[in-house]
Amino acid sequence: MSYQDPAEMKIDPPKRSFWRNLSLIWLVPLFAVVISLGIAWQTFAARGVQIEIVFDNASGVTPGETIIRFRDVRIGTVEDVQFTPDLSQVLVTASIDRAVADTLPEDARFWVVQPEVSARGITGLSTVLSGVYIETSFTPTSGAAARSFTGTAAAPLVREGQEGTRITLRTREANRVSEGAPILFRGIEVGHIEAPRLILSGESVVFDAFIEAPHDRRLTTATRFWDTSGFSVSFGASGLSLNVGNLAALLTGGIAFDTVFSGGEPLNPGYVFDLFPDEASARQSLFRSVGANAVEMSIEFEGSVSGLEVGAPVQYRGLRVGEVRAIGAVLAEDADRPEVRLLTTVALDPQAIGLPAEAGAEPLIRFLEDAVAQGLRARLSTSSLFSAALIIELAELPVDEVAPAELERRENGMAVLPSIASDLPDFTATAEGVLERINALPIEELMNQAVRLMASVEMVVSSEGSRQAPDEALALIRDIRGLVGGEDAQALPGELRAGLADLRGMVEELRLRDAVDRLMDVLDNVETVTANTATASEDFPELVEDLRTLVARASGVEVEELAAAASRVLNSADQLIGSDEMRQLPPALARALDEVQQVLADLREGEAVENVNRTLASARSAADAVAEAMNSLPGLTQRLDRLVDQADGLIASYGSRSDFNSEAMQVMREFRETARAVTQLARTIERNPNSLLLGR
Amino acid sequence: MSAPEGLVPPPTLTARAAGLVGCHSCGRVHEKGADICTRCGTALHSRMPNSLQRVWAWLFAGIVVYIPANIYPMLQTSSLGRTTESTIMGGVVELVEYGSIGVALIVFVASVLIPVGKFVAIGYLALVVRPGSRWRKGTGFHGRQHLFEVVEFIGRWSMIDVFVVAILSALVQLDFAATINPGIAAVSFSLSVAFTMLAAQSFDPRLIWDVEEAKAV
Repeated sequence: MSYQDPAEMKIDPPKRSFWRNLSLIWLVPLFAVVISLGIAWQTFAARGVQIEIVFDNASGVTPGETIIRFRDVRIGTVEDVQFTPDLSQVLVTASIDRAVADTLPEDARFWVVQPEVSARGITGLSTVLSGVYIETSFTPTSGAAARSFTGTAAAPLVREGQEGTRITLRTREANRVSEGAPILFRGIEVGHIEAPRLILSGESVVFDAFIEAPHDRRLTTATRFWDTSGFSVSFGASGLSLNVGNLAALLTGGIAFDTVFSGGEPLNPGYVFDLFPDEASARQSLFRSVGANAVEMSIEFEGSVSGLEVGAPVQYRGLRVGEVRAIGAVLAEDADRPEVRLLTTVALDPQAIGLPAEAGAEPLIRFLEDAVAQGLRARLSTSSLFSAALIIELAELPVDEVAPAELERRENGMAVLPSIASDLPDFTATAEGVLERINALPIEELMNQAVRLMASVEMVVSSEGSRQAPDEALALIRDIRGLVGGEDAQALPGELRAGLADLRGMVEELRLRDAVDRLMDVLDNVETVTANTATASEDFPELVEDLRTLVARASGVEVEELAAAASRVLNSADQLIGSDEMRQLPPALARALDEVQQVLADLREGEAVENVNRTLASARSAADAVAEAMNSLPGLTQRLDRLVDQADGLIASYGSRSDFNSEAMQVMREFRETARAVTQLARTIERNPNSLLLGR
Repeated sequence: MSAPEGLVPPPTLTARAAGLVGCHSCGRVHEKGADICTRCGTALHSRMPNSLQRVWAWLFAGIVVYIPANIYPMLQTSSLGRTTESTIMGGVVELVEYGSIGVALIVFVASVLIPVGKFVAIGYLALVVRPGSRWRKGTGFHGRQHLFEVVEFIGRWSMIDVFVVAILSALVQLDFAATINPGIAAVSFSLSVAFTMLAAQSFDPRLIWDVEEAKAV
């Protein structure tokens, strides 16, 4: 019935198993699942580890945007910013890369990097555009895995892992050195200072500093640090010298160091360096430090210790072995009547004398006992020719010349070094002698003689008999008058004074010698002229006698002696330098510099400039107003003048003098007076516009 | 009509019923039993083998990769050092917040509505053509055919989002000022679109009509 094959239609192939039936195409979704899971896992793994950082202030930190960097590489992101429960601090939650988080130690430091402009430069400029980020610094410690940290306000000066040496510096005052101040080695910045802190006893200030590698290799026990902050002014034998460090050091203070002698030992941990106020004192301090293991002892002086200051050096054979710690007075009990003795406490460094570094007090005292027996005495002496400052010298005197004495040990453990009267009075006596000799110089007498001579000569010359006197005599008179009235002679005392004032004085001395030479020349002339005159006119023995004595006196003033006296004068100039006024000078300078520093500080705060600008602006506008007023003043004057002239004319034409006229004239005169006063004012202002401002 | 006379033809005579096989590629009709097209050499199948399995597999793969496409960021926009990442839905919400409702609508339609609609449509078709399916009520054969054609046609338009990302990433590379980079979701999304298109392509529309044939017989 049909072509179709029904059997074919009914073919029902054996059902294949589900798995056999499965197409390979199912690998595709399997693959997709695997990929998706992979992505999910990767995200989960990269999600990082949550850490918490507590900041006082999290300015600019934004959840989801602020990143956390370690060595400037991103290691995480801030996820949340909240307050601590008491709202006192900010709790920043961040997720950190898992690998990094596992090595985070407890002491990892976190700080917010912001743009900052300081004396040390501009930092964090990139954050202006990108927003702040949190920087961290730590030494990776595997397995540490700390999770909560306390953030710091500012970047630590030393990054973890930075090569270098951390040292401790000690000083009395840290007012010139601030945190972050640079440490310079030959002018190159090699380290930083951290915040100064007082040691517990409050006696000195200690701060940590960090010297970067490889410069830290230069540190030995022979290294000295000194303060290069701001300006330093020294006034001494070499004159006035002003030292200014680099700009950063000017603003934040700075410290320089150098190894001042060879043979220093490597540093032990915990070694403390002393910070010296200036390079000179740093280089002079050839012993380690007074104070580390110094031994204190006392010295009693009988005379005045004026000029001795705390910190003054104690020298032994010219070497600084200690310093003065305190100066006080005690009442000596053993005398018949109470006697005030000046007790000076000094600190002596055993090492500086040559004893072992850690010798302690006993060997030093034993050494000094022996030395005292051999004639060692303490005495005051001047530190230098140009300074009135005193130092203590441990002088070794011949035993037979000094009264026997011994090192006295007091009950309180303080040893007392015997002292002898110093040779200071001799010095004063010398200076007085110089002055006396200068006084004794017959300069005034010489001048008087010369004046008398001149009067005599003039009398001779003006007298009829000498009309025919040779021209030589006239020339002589001119010479003498030139000498006496001339600037050289007039200025002679002035020059002497100049010589006193002038430190060097050599030029003055020479000039002085010149003047005397010329005087001698003139006097020689006088002698020959006198001889001539004597032969020419024997009527004037008196004059001749005067001249003779004058010449004799002049010869009596020997040039060498004068020069020597002048040099003594110069010595007395030292005295002057040591005098109060001159001593006031450096403090005055220091004060001025302090003020400059103050101004710099104000400048640092940024307001001073504005104030100054404002002041200047107002001053300028005031000056402009004054100038304007001044310009109008002459016009006013002229108008007044004109008015007066017109009035004068009017009155003159009015008629003869009457009461009215005279009164009017009076008024006119007053007008004129006023006009003149106005003119005067105008001129004054024209000459000196400041006067209006300053009131002078 | 190759059926001999005298027979009542089925309501619709199919090629299969007529013992013929059409080539997929060139459309040449062969007698049943031929394995390879004599013109172009393509393997001949009366119905695509494992068609439904392929559909399901591709569809499943497409759905799987569509999940990360929605979770992960599509775009990474860095502007002046600030990086923002936006997912598909996040971007839509952002656009709505900015007031660009039109753009938001386009993105939403292209990236969410169409892919999801395709999943549903392909899944529905694959279910419906199964023998003995209970889902076939509601749509007629023609409706299903239209649905399939729409799905196949519209599939490529889902790529509009991927194109946008690709073009932005290529153009906006201004280093620090502004940089746009594709995120993981871009890859996932394009994979998802590709997988669903493959699913649609694997679907043999003749299966729609086989159901009618089977019912008729």
